[in-house]
Amino acid sequence: MGWVTAEAPRPAELSACVDCGLCLPHCPTYRLTGDETASPRGRIAAMRAVAGDLVPIDDAFEDMMSFCLQCRACEAACPSLVPFGRAMEGARAELTAQRPDPVRRTRHALLGRLVSTPVLLRLATRAIGLARRSGALRIVPSALRSSLAGMRDVPSTPPTIRGAVHLAQGEERGTAALLAGCVMDPWFGGVHEATIELLKRAGYRVVVPTTQTCCGALAAHDGDTRRARRLAVRNVRALQAVDLVISNAAGCSAHLKEYAEWAGDGGAILADRARDVTEVVAAAIADGRLPKLSMNRGAVAVQDPCHLRHAQRIVDAPRVIVAAAGYQPVDLTDDQCCGAAGLYSMLFPETSNELGENKAAQIRVTGSTVVASANPGCEMQVRAHLENWYSVAHPVELYWDAVRENETLGPGTDSRGE
Amino acid sequence: MIPFSRAQPVMASVWHVTLVRELKDLLGEERVLSDPLRRHVYGKDGGIRRGDVAVVTLPATVGEVAEIVRIAARHEIPVVPRGAGTGLAGGAVPTSPSVVVSLTRLTEIEVDTESRTAWVGAGVLNLDLSEHTAPFGLHFAPDPSSQAACTIGGNVANNSGGPHCLAEGSTVNHVLAVEMVNATGEVLMLGGDAPDPIGLDVRGIVVGSEGTLGIVTRALVKLTPNPPAARTLLAAYERVEDAAATVSGIIAAGIVPAALEMMDQPMTIAVERFVGAGFPTDAAAVLLAEVTGHPAAVTAEAELVRTVAESNHATQIRVAADQAERDLLWKGRKAAFGAVAQLAPDYYLHDTVVPRTKLVDVLVKVYEIADRYDLAIMNVFHAGDGNLHPLMAFDASEEGVLDRVHAAADEVARVCVEAGGSLSGEHGIGLEKRDLMPLVFSEVDLDAQARLVEAFDPNKLFNPDKVLPTGSRCFDLGRPIPEGTWI
Ligand SMILES: Cc1cc2nc3c(=O)[nH]c(=O)nc-3n(C[C@H](O)[C@H](O)[C@H](O)COP(=O)(O)OP(=O)(O)OC[C@H]3O[C@@H](n4cnc5c(N)ncnc54)[C@H](O)[C@@H]3O)c2cc1C
Ligand code: SF4
Ligand code: SF4
Repeated sequence: MGWVTAEAPRPAELSACVDCGLCLPHCPTYRLTGDETASPRGRIAAMRAVAGDLVPIDDAFEDMMSFCLQCRACEAACPSLVPFGRAMEGARAELTAQRPDPVRRTRHALLGRLVSTPVLLRLATRAIGLARRSGALRIVPSALRSSLAGMRDVPSTPPTIRGAVHLAQGEERGTAALLAGCVMDPWFGGVHEATIELLKRAGYRVVVPTTQTCCGALAAHDGDTRRARRLAVRNVRALQAVDLVISNAAGCSAHLKEYAEWAGDGGAILADRARDVTEVVAAAIADGRLPKLSMNRGAVAVQDPCHLRHAQRIVDAPRVIVAAAGYQPVDLTDDQCCGAAGLYSMLFPETSNELGENKAAQIRVTGSTVVASANPGCEMQVRAHLENWYSVAHPVELYWDAVRENETLGPGTDSRGE
Repeated sequence: MIPFSRAQPVMASVWHVTLVRELKDLLGEERVLSDPLRRHVYGKDGGIRRGDVAVVTLPATVGEVAEIVRIAARHEIPVVPRGAGTGLAGGAVPTSPSVVVSLTRLTEIEVDTESRTAWVGAGVLNLDLSEHTAPFGLHFAPDPSSQAACTIGGNVANNSGGPHCLAEGSTVNHVLAVEMVNATGEVLMLGGDAPDPIGLDVRGIVVGSEGTLGIVTRALVKLTPNPPAARTLLAAYERVEDAAATVSGIIAAGIVPAALEMMDQPMTIAVERFVGAGFPTDAAAVLLAEVTGHPAAVTAEAELVRTVAESNHATQIRVAADQAERDLLWKGRKAAFGAVAQLAPDYYLHDTVVPRTKLVDVLVKVYEIADRYDLAIMNVFHAGDGNLHPLMAFDASEEGVLDRVHAAADEVARVCVEAGGSLSGEHGIGLEKRDLMPLVFSEVDLDAQARLVEAFDPNKLFNPDKVLPTGSRCFDLGRPIPEGTWI
């Protein structure tokens, strides 16, 4: 029966693959299993088989697609530039359309609504906080519990940055709209604060329009295409008339850059303006708008979120930022997925756990107890798998802490404009 | 014994059900794949043909491999070993419903730093091995361009080489012993830790046998010390002839560079688009040379290479400043085949050898053939040893294009053989070039090879229909081998 949706994997995407296999060693699920059917090339072969009507979309197809982390490591490794992430989103859309599944439908309805409705998320945040403090978290399903294990301590009524307007310090370069995000707003206030303060100092007027919503990445990855489109269209409307649209969650900035796919021409315009905060801050450090601090703060292990490194190919920026804070960035053994991967940790807890353990082991051998991670999901996953003497933070937070300290202590250690 | 009847109607038959059940009893549900989609996915390697898979197995120990072979033998169904499936000659593609044995889970490595050797599981990836031994200052010398993905088992089976085999030799020069499961499911140990084992060198026969003699489960490999210094040079030319003359000039000057690689312009353009390493896309040919050894010698040799390149009208010479730049240049070269797909969705990669002195003549003919068949062609070669890889990019959905590709490939092979070259530099014969074997081997030669296979595997259990054309055994058909036609 082939494909039925407009999002389905496209012929040009599938035929771009020449079966060379060079992506295989970069794929975490292939690495764990040694199984071609858990590899990028195998998944493309399966999509082709469906496209060519050789097989129906059956259990085997669903298993093969669902097991993919959508980490896009294969995409970065592919010499023939196969847009694997896009094709996989298409395959997920087909699963939704062709394989009615009450579990998936419930997940779409509940989670989709939760992440795009701030009020609900705030209620949930309060409930999680209560549960954690009272020990009641023990009764929630273990997959959910381990996904939340790496949460930061969050106040029961966290502040929001929505609606804020901050003036640029010094000469204004333009207006940047900040994506408040879903969990970023209530759970990662520190990252937002650092982002806003640094953007101001880098010369941006920062606005956080209230009508914006969740970027829709989770929905798009999970085949909830109707919701993904709706959210993207809403954001395009909310985030107009600015020079940049900035996100400090790598998964979201990666998705904003693909808005052409989800929200037509308006989406393409937004995609053009979308930046990850690490890019903008690193650029400001490079041209002297933000300081390079010469203090020595020791080593920091840099964990590369897949959607920063593989999807956006941003590798240097987080290193530049922590170096400017006075840390020595240390690379991990490999750049494989930490296993958080959005909903993956709930759907495949075992695999997620194994990858999380691998990542934690790689961090331990660096000898550093400070870890920089530019994506909330990765941060939580890494923290959950490390001992409590490790501190995990966004690179801009580490940098902002240093800049603030430098500002209050006076400019003795400042080497601005060097 | 009667040869296996392999023309059985596929699947769903009783034998398939019992076969799958026996395998699942052995390996459990998860490591036996028998649904149509997963079988389909395993039906192909890095080449262009697709075959018929009855069931896929993922053993984790040599004992399991042996047991799988015994089960398959009992069911009289062929066994096809598979590594990473990066082979380009269809070697891991079953020609009839077969048990595919994926060796990817045999990943143990045991290094003996004293003797600079390692016992390596067949499923270990080539580059993983070198990364594993890097802390000891050692690496596995054969470095096929697919080294990040391909397995040691596949390297052994195909006797693979790579850019750095010019000075170091191909896989066969680096394998001391192999552990192999034979057709009766016994585990053999062939060779030993002595470089020149006593008795018949059966190990040497197994290396390069493309999975037709048995399943290699482990290999004892030699490790090579990492060179204390290395320098990589890139030279660009306005004429391919000048690049080729540089290659000959370098060798004539008495230097054996660790690697000496050439790409023509279309190839360079595709590669540059992927890596962005600053490859000169306006040059007709680009040469990559690497010299390794002691720092003083390296500096002197690099200078000499530069001089030779300059005297052969190189328009640009660039020396990689550091390891990162070196890595980037090699990444570009090694991504060459994959990068082609940016130009057209399918490619046919040829692997031939031509005498270095005939390189330019052959190249001119190759361009001419491609022109005549209206195909886009680009070339990469291990120029040092004349291993030529013409690559044709095409769109298989175009009517009749496959016929043109095959006809052109056939002519290219003939041109190379006529120039005194050979059929395969390193990628193996597999299915892809099987029927061209008579171009280089006489009836008697082929008969001898067929007898050898028969001695190991009388019932043609392992990877049947590969390497040797049907009828290689003279009395099989009682008539001369037909002229090599492309299947
Ligand atoms: C982009 C690209 C670049 C390449 N560059 C090179 C190059 O520079 N040099 C080169 O030599 N090759 C090259 N190749 C070809 C290929 O990568 C090599 O032949 C490689 O050694 C195959 O290894 P594999 O693990 O993928 O084996 P597979 O493709 O899985 O199998 C290859 C053959 O070996 C047999 N086999 C595999 N494992 C075993 C085992 N354990 N026991 C017995 N038989 C076994 C299979 O039956 C098959 O006949 C390239 C391929 C690609 C896609
Ligand atoms: S690297 Fe790209 S072209 Fe090669 S198999 Fe993977 S997806 Fe296909
Ligand atoms: S996205 Fe990640 S898990 Fe999925 S096929 Fe690519 S590398 Fe593998």
